[in-house]
Amino acid sequence: MIGALKSWEGGLLLVFLATLALNAAFAPEFLTVQNQINLFQLSIEKIIVALVMALVIMNAEIDLSVASVMGLSAVVFAYLLNQGWGGGGALVVCLGVGLLAGMVNAVLVAKVGIPSLVVTLAMMIGYRGFSRVIVQDTSLGNFPEWITDLGQQGLIGPLPLSMVLFFLLLVGLGVLLHRTGFGRQVVVIGTNAEVARFSGLDVSRVKATLFVMSSVISAIAGVLYAARLGSVRGDSALGFELDIITMVLLGGVSIFGGKGSMMGVFLSILIILNLRNGMALLNITGHVQTGVIGILLILSVLLPNIVTELRARRARA
Amino acid sequence: MTSAVLELRSVAKSFAATAALRDMSLAIEPGEVHAIVGENGAGKSTLIKIMTGVYRPDAGEILVEGRAVTLRSTQDAQAEGIAAIYQEPMVFPDLNVAENIFISNRASGAFLNWRAMFADADRIVAQLGVSLDVRRAASGLTLAEQQTVEIARALSLKVKVLIMDEPTASLSAHEVERLLSIARALKAQGVAVIYISHRLDEIFRIADRVTVIRDGQHISTRPIGEVTEEGMVREMVGRAIDSFAVKTEANAVGDVALSVQGLGRAGVFSGVSFDLAKGEVLCLAGLVGARRTDVGLALFGIAPATEGRLYLHGAEVRITTPRQAMDLGIAYVSEDRRKLGLAMTLPIFANISLASLRKLLGAFGLIDRKTEAAMAEDYRRQLDIRAPDMRIEVGKLSGGNQQKVMLAKWLETKPGVLIFDEPTRGIDVGAKAEVHGIIRRLASEGVAIIVISSDLPEVMALADRVLVMREGRQAGLLDISEASQERVIAMAAGTGATEAA
Repeated sequence: MIGALKSWEGGLLLVFLATLALNAAFAPEFLTVQNQINLFQLSIEKIIVALVMALVIMNAEIDLSVASVMGLSAVVFAYLLNQGWGGGGALVVCLGVGLLAGMVNAVLVAKVGIPSLVVTLAMMIGYRGFSRVIVQDTSLGNFPEWITDLGQQGLIGPLPLSMVLFFLLLVGLGVLLHRTGFGRQVVVIGTNAEVARFSGLDVSRVKATLFVMSSVISAIAGVLYAARLGSVRGDSALGFELDIITMVLLGGVSIFGGKGSMMGVFLSILIILNLRNGMALLNITGHVQTGVIGILLILSVLLPNIVTELRARRARA
Repeated sequence: MTSAVLELRSVAKSFAATAALRDMSLAIEPGEVHAIVGENGAGKSTLIKIMTGVYRPDAGEILVEGRAVTLRSTQDAQAEGIAAIYQEPMVFPDLNVAENIFISNRASGAFLNWRAMFADADRIVAQLGVSLDVRRAASGLTLAEQQTVEIARALSLKVKVLIMDEPTASLSAHEVERLLSIARALKAQGVAVIYISHRLDEIFRIADRVTVIRDGQHISTRPIGEVTEEGMVREMVGRAIDSFAVKTEANAVGDVALSVQGLGRAGVFSGVSFDLAKGEVLCLAGLVGARRTDVGLALFGIAPATEGRLYLHGAEVRITTPRQAMDLGIAYVSEDRRKLGLAMTLPIFANISLASLRKLLGAFGLIDRKTEAAMAEDYRRQLDIRAPDMRIEVGKLSGGNQQKVMLAKWLETKPGVLIFDEPTRGIDVGAKAEVHGIIRRLASEGVAIIVISSDLPEVMALADRVLVMREGRQAGLLDISEASQERVIAMAAGTGATEAA
């Protein structure tokens, strides 16, 4: 038990419990069911994408294009609805957009061999451009009511569709990463891709699969985003990729790949959501909230280094 | 012992509960080559780190020329005239040789006096008795030349004691000669050289005195004239070892498992032909750069062959990916554990199951974790992998145990043809004997084995036949009864000996 608390997840759990306690003490409305759901709903699309981003980073890659794919998918969804398409048809097209975007990333990274940082940075800019071309300077809204209901109202009890999806993905991707052969390959490739290749693993296939998964899930998140807000613009989901990557890194996933757990990412998501929510209830502005999260991230990177350094010094002395 | 340039008195050092060094006393005389030998884990690295100020001893003292000193950092050690060079030299590729030599003691002042610097560098390199253009960029230097630069750097710092840690581990035969002559040149200038190597033949050629350490303790220090190889090995391992018995007759072998005809890869190697029978051990010998590893990589599909034919159990096959090679029952145990062999930060069990993960997958691609753990335990017993728990990171094991984990990974694929690339590089005498034992056992079980090795005594101890390569071509194929170290070297270097069938 003490050993478990010494791990990264153990530390995160303590921080999370402290956040909960502070929130409950200072903001009486914090513990209401509605607030708990709101707290997830406000960032639901980001945290859904963070789950798949965790796999990508574990694999020692990065996908900066997620937010632009979300934006593009949201815009395409809204555009098609405005053109009189049904929700189902529009969703299928959006999935197609995600699949295509993912395949472009996959081919350029896994087959051609260009670093994912460059490929997905280019796609981040490119897809954002497409979104802006489609909607110009206006916004697209007027969705059928059932779609906004699905985006905002409870589906199972008070839980909206997007939250149900989040928890299904959390469990599904957690099992995929930690219990399946595919997940093991992701970790090994993230640790050392050459060792993986010399062990007969198909490195490019695993990488390609991850990039396709990342874009498809981003496209779904984009549709959820459109449905929740009821209207989209060319800059929808702008800059989300950085919040998403922050959640993953704070969760203890190594930016160099190979290390991390889905539990860590989940706890990090809980901490960030609760911190933001608590600060909001205390009328602390969004800018300050962002600053606090930034400090948290720096500390999370700094702390393990300090601990290692202290241990090394003790060994030397 | 007042003449000693560096002396350790009753030095001890522990990490957590394990004592790495116990009551270690050692005196190094000026101008001597002092060899330190011991198995991996005997405490050699800790000893070096204490002498170079990386660690501080828990007890005991360090004296430099009779003065007690405290070494807090490598800079402190350098100021006292103690420096070390390692297996993998550190040079800055974008600087030229002279800049690399003077990297840590550039003349002060805003402007570099290039002419003076080149002249000084030339003088230092000449002192080492080697020729090296100090104006060229360091980027194209061979490993051996980079080492020369490091030694020159140490010399520029007025070094009194130079520690060489496994300096010849990755050098070819003539580069080793050059290094040994550099060590002699240093000695002639009054520098004490501490020479650490697994290669006992080098020690007999260069050392004045030999210190054996075992389990963190000083066992003996003797003038080289009073030491025999058997005696030294016995002291190192605390028991006798028969690993270096030379094979004189080939084992009885079975049907041909792998037949290679005119194998080649454009621009890399060509014309390699041999038949490998079940239960046979074929050693690939040759100088560094003879492209032996490339033959292994071609057979394993990493860098596929572009010419020639391959037959496995009589049927022609083409191998273009490792997966295909593995499906055909071919395994390749890489020479580079760290970069190509093991996922160092992952647990032992995950490394063992890595190449046979498919066998462990159940419904939905879930890994059968019980079977996986049992598999690891099985190999722990079979290969005597010394680890408290198969869930610890493989990087925390000693080199010999890491090698066994890598072996386990490939044995689990149940290969019919097993290619070992430098199977005992950088592991100690005891583990080496164990690895040789495993290779012999596999051969007796009918596995066809290829061993790529630069270690000639190893070749002589393992091979049924020796395939000698020179500059990407097959220079000859010898039966063990007609092979001798001299003949193999002559063939590999292209002097004398005519080609055999």
